[in-house]
Amino acid sequence: MSDTPILSVRNIRKTYGGIEVLKGVSFDLERGQSKIVIGPSGTGKSTLLRCINLLSPPDDGSVILDGVTVEQKGINQLRAQIGFVFQEFNLFTHLCVLDNVRLAQRNVLGRSRHEATRRAMEELERVGLADKLDAYPAELSGGQKQRASIARALAMDPKLILFDEPTSALDPELTGEVVQVMKELANAGMTMLVVSHEMGFAKAAADEVIFMEGGVIVEQGPPSTLFTQPEHARTSQFLQMLTHEHHET
Amino acid sequence: MTDFIEFGRTWMPFLLEGVGVTVGLWAVAMVLGFCLALVLVWARVYASKPLYLLATLYVEVFRGTPMLVQLFFIYLGLPEIGIVLDPFTAAAVAIGLNSAAYQAEYFRGAIQSLPSGQMIAARAMGMSRFQALRDIILPQAGRRVIPQWSNEAIVELKYTSIAYAIGLTELTSRAEQVGYQTFQFLEAFTLVAIIYLVLTGIVAQTLDFVEKRTRVPGLTNSGGKMS
Repeated sequence: MSDTPILSVRNIRKTYGGIEVLKGVSFDLERGQSKIVIGPSGTGKSTLLRCINLLSPPDDGSVILDGVTVEQKGINQLRAQIGFVFQEFNLFTHLCVLDNVRLAQRNVLGRSRHEATRRAMEELERVGLADKLDAYPAELSGGQKQRASIARALAMDPKLILFDEPTSALDPELTGEVVQVMKELANAGMTMLVVSHEMGFAKAAADEVIFMEGGVIVEQGPPSTLFTQPEHARTSQFLQMLTHEHHET
Repeated sequence: MTDFIEFGRTWMPFLLEGVGVTVGLWAVAMVLGFCLALVLVWARVYASKPLYLLATLYVEVFRGTPMLVQLFFIYLGLPEIGIVLDPFTAAAVAIGLNSAAYQAEYFRGAIQSLPSGQMIAARAMGMSRFQALRDIILPQAGRRVIPQWSNEAIVELKYTSIAYAIGLTELTSRAEQVGYQTFQFLEAFTLVAIIYLVLTGIVAQTLDFVEKRTRVPGLTNSGGKMS
């Protein structure tokens, strides 16, 4: 049982306004594995994440979470098992940090106030925000906001967490603290699917890299192979462009 | 001046007896308007196309016709089809139905001013749409709407005076009675104006207090710091 993938994505297709953004994407994610999805912008990476928890339901194909097909029926229960970390954080603006991490534990999982508080404190401590419990999102830096939103996802005890460009909205000097938290999570055995160009994370913590372009997976493999000996010309071109950007900034 | 004070001493108690009717009418109308506005805003923002159109039609009709016409329609017109309401009820219904259209528009504006990511994040965590509305959207939109809602509450408080037109003995009609009895219209309407000012002042101050107490950094931009 434990060697079946925790997430199985099969032939996902999605069309937006006449344009086919995803043209049949398939991959598996094993328990405890972390995969990073890279590729040019507009390639359907974020759409892929949103198809997995049906925030944006795919037109075709299927998503199987731990042996259960993800479908509209019982979707709330399934979404509770899939953490989602947004580029724009999307912390609930009217709630302090502690309540942000407690709310869905209470109203979705039905945990007691005591239990929700305990789990929230654990995760906030883990991301280094134990001293910010009473702060409102607007009072936090971008890096703190993203760490709070990671704690919010973790407190739900999800089977995996989807990260949608978690550092793209951050000032360069703040990305480090978020990447650090993500590395620690990956090393602690959290199952993660990360859309990001954060090479630091890719090299240090990703088990596998997926290169996507034009709505399809061009190639995938462990970072050591994919970064040094990519099979496809498009992959190496993209990697060159990426390292260029990194050297410039 | 001493004459006016003497006038006030004599007639103020009679006028103040109208405060109960005016405030009662206002309170019933506001509550009715609030409840109906919630239904309207739900239809306008979240419901299917037919319900959206129906709610839009409602809002346009009530915002696009004079309140006095609406009141006469209800009090004088409806009896023709067998619906007879006493003046207080007719006025409360008319003001309430009218206010609902405005309150709904203010709520809609507040809800639509919220970033879409708030609803998306709530749904992504497994909240139902109802839970997301109750625990995320309403608390946020509620805070944002207070200044406009406060304005609406004050407008409606003043609008209660149109009940005078269908013979309800509220504040304004009492002032007129005093005027005809004493032929001191200037003094009579000055007194009633002062009473209205005190009432609207209380409403404004109360809601201002509520707004300050519920303020959250970054959510409302009136006086608070923006992120």
